[in-house]
Amino acid sequence: MENKTQYWKGIEELNREPEFVQLSKNEFAEGLPLDEVLNESDLNLSSNRRDFLKFFGFSVSAVALAACNKAPVKNVIPYVVQPEEVVPGVPNYYASTFKGTPVVVKTREGRPIKLEGNTKSSITGGGLDAAGQASVVTLYDSKRLPLPLKKGERSNWALVDKEITAALQSAESSGKGIRIVSGPVMGPVTQSIINDFKAAYPSARQVVYQGISYDGIYQSNEMCFGKAVIPTYRFANAEVVVSFGADFLGTWLNTLQYTRDYTSKRVPTKENPVMSRHIQFEGNMSLTGANADYRFPLRPSQEGQALMSLYNALAKQMGLTQLATPTKLEVAGNGIEESAKVLAGAKGKSLVVSGSNDPYIQSLVNQINLMLDNYGKTIDLDNYYMLRGGDVSFSDFVKEAGSLGAVIFYNCNPVFDTPEGAALKASLENVKLKVSTGYYQDETASICDFVAPDVHFLESWNLTEISRGKYSFTQPTIAPVFETRQAETSFAIWSNNAAIANNEFNYYEYIRNWAKNNIYDGVLGFDAWWNQSLHDGVFDKPELTPQVPSNNVLASDLVAKINTKVGNNDLILYTKVGMGDGSDGNNPWLHELPDPVSKITWDNYLALSLHDANELGIEQGDLVSVSNGKTTLDKVPVLIQPGQARGSFGIALGYGRSMGVKDVIGLDAFPFVGKMNGTSSYYVSDVTIAKVDGHYELAQTQTHHSIEGRDIVREATLAEFAKDSKVENHDELGRMRNEEGKLYNLWREFDYKGHKWGLAIDMNACTGCSACVVACSLENNVPVVGREEVRRRREMHWMRIDRYYAFRQEGEYLTREKDYDKMEDHQYVKAVHMPMMCQHCENAPCETVCPVLATTHSTEGLNQMTYNRCIGTKYCANNCPYKVRRFNWFRYNDNDDFNYYMNNDLGKMVINPDVTVRTRGVMEKCSMCVQRIQSGKLNAKLEGRKIKDGEIKTACQQTCPAGAIVFGDMNDPESQISKEFMNDRAYKVLEEIDVKPSVRYMTKIRNVEEKKSVSTAQH
Amino acid sequence: MSYESPIRELLVTGGKTAGDVTADICRPLEGKPTKLWWLGFTISVICLGILVYTLALTSFIGLGMWGINKTVGWAWDITNFVWWVGIGHAGTLISAILLLFRQKWRMSINRSAEAMTIFAVMCAAIFPLFHMGRVWIGPVWALPLPNAFGSLWVNFNSPLLWDVFAISTYFSVSLLFWYLGMIPDIATIRDRASTPIRKFMYRFFSMGWNGSARNWARYEVVSLILAGVSTPLVLSVHTIVSMDFATSVIPGWHTTIFPPYFVAGAIFSGFGMVLTLLVIARKVLKLEAYITIGHLDAMCRVLLLTGSMVGLAYITEFFIAWYSGVEYERYAFLNRMAGPYWWAYWSMMTCNVISPQLFWVKKWRRNPNFIFFMSIVVNIGMWFERFVIIVTSLHRDYLPSSWVMYSPTPTEIGIFIGTLGLFFTCFFLFARFLPVINMSEVKSILPHSHNNEAESVHQPEVVTH
Repeated sequence: MENKTQYWKGIEELNREPEFVQLSKNEFAEGLPLDEVLNESDLNLSSNRRDFLKFFGFSVSAVALAACNKAPVKNVIPYVVQPEEVVPGVPNYYASTFKGTPVVVKTREGRPIKLEGNTKSSITGGGLDAAGQASVVTLYDSKRLPLPLKKGERSNWALVDKEITAALQSAESSGKGIRIVSGPVMGPVTQSIINDFKAAYPSARQVVYQGISYDGIYQSNEMCFGKAVIPTYRFANAEVVVSFGADFLGTWLNTLQYTRDYTSKRVPTKENPVMSRHIQFEGNMSLTGANADYRFPLRPSQEGQALMSLYNALAKQMGLTQLATPTKLEVAGNGIEESAKVLAGAKGKSLVVSGSNDPYIQSLVNQINLMLDNYGKTIDLDNYYMLRGGDVSFSDFVKEAGSLGAVIFYNCNPVFDTPEGAALKASLENVKLKVSTGYYQDETASICDFVAPDVHFLESWNLTEISRGKYSFTQPTIAPVFETRQAETSFAIWSNNAAIANNEFNYYEYIRNWAKNNIYDGVLGFDAWWNQSLHDGVFDKPELTPQVPSNNVLASDLVAKINTKVGNNDLILYTKVGMGDGSDGNNPWLHELPDPVSKITWDNYLALSLHDANELGIEQGDLVSVSNGKTTLDKVPVLIQPGQARGSFGIALGYGRSMGVKDVIGLDAFPFVGKMNGTSSYYVSDVTIAKVDGHYELAQTQTHHSIEGRDIVREATLAEFAKDSKVENHDELGRMRNEEGKLYNLWREFDYKGHKWGLAIDMNACTGCSACVVACSLENNVPVVGREEVRRRREMHWMRIDRYYAFRQEGEYLTREKDYDKMEDHQYVKAVHMPMMCQHCENAPCETVCPVLATTHSTEGLNQMTYNRCIGTKYCANNCPYKVRRFNWFRYNDNDDFNYYMNNDLGKMVINPDVTVRTRGVMEKCSMCVQRIQSGKLNAKLEGRKIKDGEIKTACQQTCPAGAIVFGDMNDPESQISKEFMNDRAYKVLEEIDVKPSVRYMTKIRNVEEKKSVSTAQH
Repeated sequence: MSYESPIRELLVTGGKTAGDVTADICRPLEGKPTKLWWLGFTISVICLGILVYTLALTSFIGLGMWGINKTVGWAWDITNFVWWVGIGHAGTLISAILLLFRQKWRMSINRSAEAMTIFAVMCAAIFPLFHMGRVWIGPVWALPLPNAFGSLWVNFNSPLLWDVFAISTYFSVSLLFWYLGMIPDIATIRDRASTPIRKFMYRFFSMGWNGSARNWARYEVVSLILAGVSTPLVLSVHTIVSMDFATSVIPGWHTTIFPPYFVAGAIFSGFGMVLTLLVIARKVLKLEAYITIGHLDAMCRVLLLTGSMVGLAYITEFFIAWYSGVEYERYAFLNRMAGPYWWAYWSMMTCNVISPQLFWVKKWRRNPNFIFFMSIVVNIGMWFERFVIIVTSLHRDYLPSSWVMYSPTPTEIGIFIGTLGLFFTCFFLFARFLPVINMSEVKSILPHSHNNEAESVHQPEVVTH
């Protein structure tokens, strides 16, 4: 309906006046008061244009100046074609092998970032040691050679190959001989390649030596049984272990296997309160000695006598002929008689081992083990440990070195790690071709004409035979970081055979063929077998049934050969856990790792007993010179080491590397290594020690060594435990509990509806090997801080292993500083190792004191750090009764003052992307590997199931060769941790302050007869 | 019934008139600075420079420049903080509590004591600020400010947060009180000022004071109100500071006696510092007639009292450590006495417990040289008290594996010296530009303002209650 009504705005419109009509055509009928606005006095229109130009000019120049600030260019390189198996943010795991230890490599976006033990391995069962954990850092070491070298200059592979091949051929034709020098070759395929090489050059011979030699064991087994092997020692079958200086838990042969087997006999339960007895005779205080039930100080020059006495004591008990010994044997108190007594009671279930490298001493040990029926039971000569020997002995090689035509050093550094290094260096001057395949410009490589750097094991294919019939595969987890080439390929190329001339050599195919011909068992199809074996990383052939060998040696014949002259001052040359022979001497984590016993980082030192120190007038912090007449080491720092045998002095080998490392660390003691009965001898008698001027502070992470009688470490004897499984662990806080059995406290109880995470640590299983320390640090991007900062007591380890001594005096153990300070002799000592990390307290003292709530309690019982919120008041660290919190005193990454792996782009590739790299000024601590918990929860959620117990493992738990750490959900009554917590040995450290830790420790039980220690004498 | 108190000394000697008071007190402000002033000021400014440098080192390189470590997380920083805060307490006590108690002898010392409070709190505040690992955000995040991060809030359970409130309240109230009390005097200087700049500045800061009865009436009321507000602060600030330790679980810190013990210690150290300053100031500024031996005597008695309280607290702590039967407590206290830091403990005992007992001797209480020496001793002793509490408790706590030693680095020592520089720089400027004695109040206690016309120098004043 049309609206006809007209509305009008005013009388003008109604009248339609012409003026109105005219104006209504404009947009604004009344016009705008523009003039008024523009003419206001404060708007000076006359200079408007100039102002505009001024402002314009200022703005343009300001923008230009601002734009001049050069923003750093950061390259993000996306995958153009995403590899099928790589999902960003999701790790891939590949099985591999580190120096005879099966490992699993965790890679993220194509970068290996962490090694873990391979749980499928029948040898380690999933453990990995500190050196293995640290080895991933070496992959990204900027000191590694990026290219082949010719005469120290960078070169290229084509040229180097051509010249080396030509030189090898001329050496061959000159008839002077070619030698391949290497450490023990554990890879059968590598050996096959070397054999091919030897076939191509008939004058080529192989020289195999060990920086730390076990020749004595080979030779003794050859002498006694005609089998030149290193047997597999089966500690899992031994109820009595007697060790003469063999550090089998720390550094002696296949420590991971021994640790696993040994600890399997060391954990008594309520139902079955038995454990093995371990007696250790040694000079140094070794990790193994620290774990022994009885430990007797014994100098290495006394070892021959001690073993003869043991032989005689056993022979006496068994009614056999005793040895006619030249001197009266009175060593190590009544230790020998006691050992003989328990050994005789455990025939076929005992094991005597010796760390000596003297073939005659080892033969005597063999005779003792034979007498004890141990062969075939605790000693297995048939499924032997695979350290292969070579064709030519190293000493012969050094003698003839000057006349050789060519020498190839295959991944070894004999100029450094043999006592003949200097002689070798001199005689090699005349050799025309010297090649090293090592990946550092080390002491040996630097005298070579060519360096053809090998790849890191994480970049290579290989196959290792650890023990007879136990194989472990190595597969590359990253393309070579540098232009390096696998040494096996180099050997094949230098062998100059036809296939290679056509560039057809493929080491991967070579291994496949070798495996097909040699170890493939034919059960599955070959490809299926191969894929399965690669996936698992390990492949075991059936074991042989160990036989009792026939003996060719009479113990009485050995007497004359064994050194019975007891020297005055024995210098013991030992290796350290982690550092070993020093071949990975540029790895900062191996230096930052505290020695499991002395807790010293970043140095080697002369360990001596308090008694000797007093006699020599030496104090902690002094420097000494050590000399055996031929060799002198000057300015050696000293450590007064409890447990060190009087008259013995220990110094670690493997330190003092001078080339191929960032800094020279420690002193080189290899020149002291001598010869005895044809093999290297790792002790020197009659050294002179003299104090020299100067002072040196060793960087120690723990400087107070006793528990001061506190109820922190609980321990009891096996007999006490058998009587009362709650020994030392009875509830003494009864009066402080309410009707529900809970301690009275001020705080609101937390309600954990879902998970509640906890850790259980068995101090009977823990040997203190410290693999967990490195594993934790690499998993959690804990920075290396260096010697000076450790001296200032600022190491960053989230996980540490506390080591306490108790000093024996007149049958009692003293744990208080004021008592043992008066003692003149600290030889008789026992030690305990206690892993310590954030206890994730329910009533966490750190949480209440943080002013900004940077540390809070999670619904799953974790005590969490929010780094971004932390302002660094350090109150939480002060208020932590366990002192596990670590503060970022400096910026530890991209800082030239901390020139370790986090200071360069290459080194930073090892950083775990799941864990924040902390900035300066914030607090950090153990998170119970919260990133692993989250990833475990996510996996379970994706698969729509509950988390399985044992599925999530913390880094420390995963690497522990002894299985001493258990992580899990306390809210799950079926979980292993719930069972561990019900264990009668389980206790909370510092329970009386009622912070309610989520970590429990198991009382340490020692298999000793003596009255229990006074460690908890307060009760 | 009337009680006649013993004869008291005159509070102002020398037969000063009101005019003399103004002239004497304004003299240092109006003349040229003396050579001695320049010397002291220069040294102080150099120390202030050290402060700036060492704080820059700490902020730009890291807290690693200090000697603290994984076990001892607080050392010189918090020692100095507590020491400075404690020093401040004398000023508040004098100006607030003694005002409420109508102790007239306070009138000639309250101004400088309050100034000391302000400067000491400034010095103290440096330590909690710069002991933070992330000093660039810490001071802001420690405040309960509304923010855009959702429920991100401060932790009201934390004693450190209580500190934030305690110290900021203390500083602002003290500053207000000090400034308010100065307004009449600033007006006096304004009226005497000769140069335009001085005129302008003093006019600005006197806030239009004209000395009218209404001005005075309001002044008196506000003074009383502020005194009332400040009084609880004398007790609360150091109580809260003590809770930084008392609420923790560390043996040697976890002690309920801390609040009264800390307050007594604070007043003890505060009077120590007041004496240090005034013994010099009365000499240099020729104010012996205003800050008399009697004043010094009175302050020495406070030292004697609070020193004995502190001593009692030390002994009580020991007794309780033994009586508790807790081995960690027992060890902590034995370790103080006989551990590696025994020298710090015995310095503390000598300086704080034994030395104040000398003030039982009247002759020594009235000897300025001896008092000066003792005031320094008290300051040293109180510094060691905090060091002993903080470092010797931390360095050996529960797990012996973490026991360490601590020693300071040059940076830490530099910061401490630097705060002394800041303190004295401020004090020198104060003595140069502001009246160190409350002129208006002192005039009210001149002998002749009490109908006593006899201006003989040592005529005792008889007060009848």
